[in-house]
Amino acid sequence: MIPILVLHLAMALALALFHRRLGRWAFLLGAIGAAATLLWALSIAGGVIAGSPVTEAFSWVPSLGLEIGFRIDSYGLLFLLVVAGAGLPIFLYSHRYFPASRRATIFAATMLVFAGSMVGLVTADHLLALFVFWELTTISSYLLIGYKDEDASARSAALHAALVTGAGGLAMLGGMVLLAGEAGTYVISELIANPPAATAAVNAGWALVLLGAVTKSALFPFHAWLPGAMAAPTPASAFLHSATMVKAGIFLVGRVGVAAADSVDWWQPVVLALGGVTMVLGGWRALRQYDLKLLLAYGTVSQLGFIFLLMGSGIPELVFGGIALLLSHALFKATMFMVVGAIDHQAGTRDLRRLSGLRRSMPGVFRVAVAAGLSMAAIPLSFGFAAKEAAFVALVDENVWWVAAAAAASTLTVAYTARFLIGAFGSHDPGVEPALGSALSVRNTLLSAPSSLALVTVAFGLVPTALFPLVNGATEAVTGLSKAGKLVVWPGWVAALAWSLASLAMGSALAWRSDLMSRAGDRVAVVAKRLPDAEDVFRRSIPGLIRFADRSSSLLQNGSLPAYLAIILIVAVVGPTVAVLAEGPTLSVPESGSLLEWMLGILIIAFAVSLAFVRRRFAVVILLGGVGYGIAAVYAVFGGPDLTLTQLLVETLVITLFALVLRHLPATFDRPATARLPRLAVALAVGAFVFGAGLVVNAARQPSAVAATYLEQAVPEAAGSNVVNVILVDFRAFDTFGEITVLVAAVLGAAGLVVPVIRKARSRA
Amino acid sequence: MKTTRQSTILEAGVVTVAGPLMVFSIYLLFAGHNQPGGGFSGGLVAGVSVVLIWIAGGTATLRRVLPVRSTVLMGSGLVVAAITGFAALLPGLEFLESGYIETSLPLFGEVKVVSALFFDIGVYLVVIGMALGLVKALGEEEAPAEVER
Repeated sequence: MIPILVLHLAMALALALFHRRLGRWAFLLGAIGAAATLLWALSIAGGVIAGSPVTEAFSWVPSLGLEIGFRIDSYGLLFLLVVAGAGLPIFLYSHRYFPASRRATIFAATMLVFAGSMVGLVTADHLLALFVFWELTTISSYLLIGYKDEDASARSAALHAALVTGAGGLAMLGGMVLLAGEAGTYVISELIANPPAATAAVNAGWALVLLGAVTKSALFPFHAWLPGAMAAPTPASAFLHSATMVKAGIFLVGRVGVAAADSVDWWQPVVLALGGVTMVLGGWRALRQYDLKLLLAYGTVSQLGFIFLLMGSGIPELVFGGIALLLSHALFKATMFMVVGAIDHQAGTRDLRRLSGLRRSMPGVFRVAVAAGLSMAAIPLSFGFAAKEAAFVALVDENVWWVAAAAAASTLTVAYTARFLIGAFGSHDPGVEPALGSALSVRNTLLSAPSSLALVTVAFGLVPTALFPLVNGATEAVTGLSKAGKLVVWPGWVAALAWSLASLAMGSALAWRSDLMSRAGDRVAVVAKRLPDAEDVFRRSIPGLIRFADRSSSLLQNGSLPAYLAIILIVAVVGPTVAVLAEGPTLSVPESGSLLEWMLGILIIAFAVSLAFVRRRFAVVILLGGVGYGIAAVYAVFGGPDLTLTQLLVETLVITLFALVLRHLPATFDRPATARLPRLAVALAVGAFVFGAGLVVNAARQPSAVAATYLEQAVPEAAGSNVVNVILVDFRAFDTFGEITVLVAAVLGAAGLVVPVIRKARSRA
Repeated sequence: MKTTRQSTILEAGVVTVAGPLMVFSIYLLFAGHNQPGGGFSGGLVAGVSVVLIWIAGGTATLRRVLPVRSTVLMGSGLVVAAITGFAALLPGLEFLESGYIETSLPLFGEVKVVSALFFDIGVYLVVIGMALGLVKALGEEEAPAEVER
């Protein structure tokens, strides 16, 4: 497990570093990664399905008991197979799709990082590790969508996807922390085995986790980022935005569904509602697209909604159907995307209105598209049919409304599949100029990857039982129930079959009268325009957010030094004051001091008071120095030679540095033009606060255990009799190390600020 | 007539004082573990000496007397401190935990060498670097160094 992750990372790094040498092999390296994962997954498959998960742990911070564990049960194995099984043909396909270039190499490296993160995501057994891999997929998705970075729309689509899934990921992290806090463990398998009772924190935790899953899997109302993500090159769309990444949310709800549905009773209805709305909405929108890729994207939204509903429900029978559908979807959708890529690559367009008669010019692509399309539309004898039947059988047993909604979505699916196939490959009426009917024959290499996937689809369509152990094992791993469903070529004459056939018939009718359909659609669209569109909502909310950020930061970060000081001082005064008053303060007035102490006190006060009346800057610095030296003298009187020494030296240095700065400033202060009374008030408040704090602190003084230990241990432990120094360089040396680092940063910062200003002034002089 | 703006008396005074100040700063650094002093105050004393040199001779003299960049001083200080910290891992101690050896050196007799001293040397270097960096940055001349008197 860990070697696989390291392999992905190492190859991605190698690509980034040696892109000149490795450029031509970039995607083949990716294919090696995917093949290694696939072989390894297959090698452990037997044992895992038989019921003994593979676990691996990596001890991260042993002293804190932080262990990052990986655990591959049948459920994780299934996803692992999907990731590697989709990844291998897609990497091979990309090898021919992209001309060798530096950017393509970086693209390959990013795909590798993504593939590795996905492998980690589906096998991690620690919530935080899951989160890290989750966010890595978000980041790589951002980079892949924004591949054409000279294109503003690609950049904004990438940002949209990253913001939505990133925000969802953060919400999920919050939810995980809440859940782990209540359950007392971050280990996923333990959390699921003993889901926490439904306290307020647990409710919030599950809601946030669900939010993360919903955004990642592009469910309503966050679905709009997925069609936007089609700005990515087609291999990325095939890999991330249909087969794997968008399944991460589904993976998560499938994993926690049973526990969550046990834990909180709103989980199931909410998951069903979200999934249901998404699957119908996505199907409808797919039917209205002209861009083949967008059509597939909305189709993916619809399918994701359906699978989400099934797998998040926590009902074993539904989960079984969901897992079967997920497999079939990964197979046919990745194939379909590669088909679109081939069309786009050869014909130069993906617009249905400009494509015509590709059946003749691209017969190979046509055959592959039909094979995948049959599965997509769930025609009998296809794998999609077997999977959908499994889902329908389960739904019929649960609730007639759910199955009706699923049938509606299936109807739309059949219709948009027909729209895709007929639109791209059929011959249109002669009015439409078949722009690129003479497309070159597709190179075999661009066809071999999708056709191998299509072959797998067809094979499993004929022998779906071959996948039963895997699907059954995965279902059992998350629900505990074996044989929750069946995968068969022909279900027999059951109610579910009637629903299936009905949706097939209605879908075909819709496709047949597509003209009527589109007119009806236009009418709906007129009405729908009045409703907020998810994409518009997003687009409008971003400037609003930026405006809010602008306003709040111009209010707080207004560049006025007095305002900053006032905020800092007021917070410093009000916070502790409130805390002390709430406790009921005990004040203790110290005993009267010696004559020397009185004299020093009067001297310091005299310096401080005169400070307020002096207008010359230089005099202010000198008086401030006077206060500092006075305090050094106080330290000396109370017997702190180290403090005295340091205070004197610091004071001296500071006065000199001040003097250097003053050369660049006017000789006197301006009389403050505004807000003199508030300034006075803040100053008096700080003075009173410090005075009061002195009395309170004096009352609270007691010998601390730490101080006693330090005094005792200084000589035996650290071999030094100057306790102050021993604390600095031994007991609290780590703090000192931090402080000198800060000191260096401060000096570099100050020099960086000051030097350019002075140089500019000099060049003007 | 063009001259530097500094006075000869000041220059002579600083030459007399700056050297002993540097020696004193090193004394503070080494004495710090058992008596008042330490890397921080030692560094500050050296920093004061740096300021004095700058007042007497300006940036040019400072460059001649201390021909190091402040960033090099600060950086090596951090490195020395870090190495001290990690060196503690070798004999199985924790990061920055200190150990000591007792040995006799010619002239000094019996001495206890505490590993924390090296950490303190790091602090010392950082503090001198700070003083040097700030003086150089803030003391940069607005007008060319030589002015008409």
